[in-house]
Amino acid sequence: MTSLVAPEAPPSSPPRTVGARHVGRWVWAAVVLVLVVWALRSVALNPAFGWGTVTQYLFTTAVLRGLATTLLLTVATTVVGFLLGIGLAAMRLSGNPVLSSVSWGYVWLFRSTPLLVQLLFWYNVGALYPRLGLGIPFGPTFFSVDSVNLVSVLVAALLGLILHEAAYAAEIVRGGILSVDAGQSEAAVSLGMTRARVLRRIVLPQAMRSIIPATGNMVIGTLKGTSIVSVIAVTDLLYSVQTIYNRTYEIIPLLLVATVWYVILTSVLSVGQYYVERYYARGAERTLPPTPLQRLRRSFR
Amino acid sequence: MSLLEIRGLTKAFNGVTVLDGVDLDVDAGSVTVLVGPSGSGKSTLLRCINHLETPDAGTISVDDSLIAYRRDGDVLRELPERTIAAQRRRIGMVFQQFQLFGHMTALGNVIEAPVGVLGVPRHEAVERGRALLARVGLEGREDAYPRQLSGGQQQRVAIARALAMEPTLMLFDEPTSALDPALVGEVLEVLRDLAAGGTTMVVVTHEIAFAREVADTVVVLGDGRIVRSGPPSEVLDDGSVRVA
Repeated sequence: MTSLVAPEAPPSSPPRTVGARHVGRWVWAAVVLVLVVWALRSVALNPAFGWGTVTQYLFTTAVLRGLATTLLLTVATTVVGFLLGIGLAAMRLSGNPVLSSVSWGYVWLFRSTPLLVQLLFWYNVGALYPRLGLGIPFGPTFFSVDSVNLVSVLVAALLGLILHEAAYAAEIVRGGILSVDAGQSEAAVSLGMTRARVLRRIVLPQAMRSIIPATGNMVIGTLKGTSIVSVIAVTDLLYSVQTIYNRTYEIIPLLLVATVWYVILTSVLSVGQYYVERYYARGAERTLPPTPLQRLRRSFR
Repeated sequence: MSLLEIRGLTKAFNGVTVLDGVDLDVDAGSVTVLVGPSGSGKSTLLRCINHLETPDAGTISVDDSLIAYRRDGDVLRELPERTIAAQRRRIGMVFQQFQLFGHMTALGNVIEAPVGVLGVPRHEAVERGRALLARVGLEGREDAYPRQLSGGQQQRVAIARALAMEPTLMLFDEPTSALDPALVGEVLEVLRDLAAGGTTMVVVTHEIAFAREVADTVVVLGDGRIVRSGPPSEVLDDGSVRVA
């Protein structure tokens, strides 16, 4: 008999590895989940939150009008503010010492004072310049109107928000432009492009990659920051709910109405930012990051 | 008749003289290789030719027209940006660090200036761009972004991008210095091919073997002056000249 041979694993399969078990992870997950459920339950069941009142007011005309004003302020502030910001950044980076200094001075001034103070200034601009007109500096004036007629509260709010936003946008854009290798501009001018074209076609698109995350922050900040205009009686989202609760005294539920809308808008913006970032990542990474949908599909395969 | 004519070119950076009265003639269809130790002014000389550097004195002419300046008595007045931009279209430049536009595909890089600057219809530029990429051995990589390409491939795209403007003069600033030794050959192969095709080239390089093989004229710079200039066999075998 020659069968007394020790059993041998087939040489073709090396030992399999098994990861460590993270017992602590499970414990902490359970503790945190219990706390979260407890907090959610208290928010849902505490009658003082008045969820019934919240749903009742969420889609009322006054609230939706306020929401529209908030959206208008956010979009106008972001778009015009960033256009001005690009101009300010280009001035700052230009070889012209006057333009560069003026741009620096603008950013310095508008970053040095609180937005609330600036808004109050614009609201009271009639005290500084009772009449505003169109004319040639140091020359004739073609026509003029009373400031109070031209600068309504909405215009005052827009002026304040846009001019403030432009100062911050200028710094974001300037940082983005500086993040692009100077050799890119050299390569572009070597091909016969003018400096304006280089900025538009070569530098800005690549600067977007570092501009977008900071801009996402700015837009979300602006959306919520517009609530500050309620102090000069612009009927934005916050002011609209304040008007209602001053009448009904349902303060918490109506603040929740505003909160719900702010959260919804911010969520939409965050998702939008993800896709914009993904778009500008083309060429910067070897493969594009997957969208959340693609990631979800992959985990079910 | 020389295509490129440089007279008395002088340039200092913060009081340090980098170019000290350089005279240089490059004939149409010829290959001139600039060699010399680091800091001898080779790259500055090349970058003055398409006005990436502003010279302090001296003239540069391509095809008999003064680059970036007009003569006004005994001074040279800088031309407006648009005029200089128009002159640069005729001078192709290839950089040590490639400098491909990272947000555009290989083909996008090649057609950007023809479409945007020269106004070539897009479909024509695309057709020509594909042909140029094929010429530098990159057929099938048209849609790759620069970061998806090796250094040697990127440099070949950069050469195709410069050629797309149909320049009368090509400048190469150490085109293989940033490459892995294994990738140098494929770029030099393209340069050899261009030289054989009659492209007028000025090449700054440390590749002495390449200079010996391809150059019509080797110019040796040292401390901002031309130390020696002539056919490679004469210049490179002269033991008294420091070429690198």
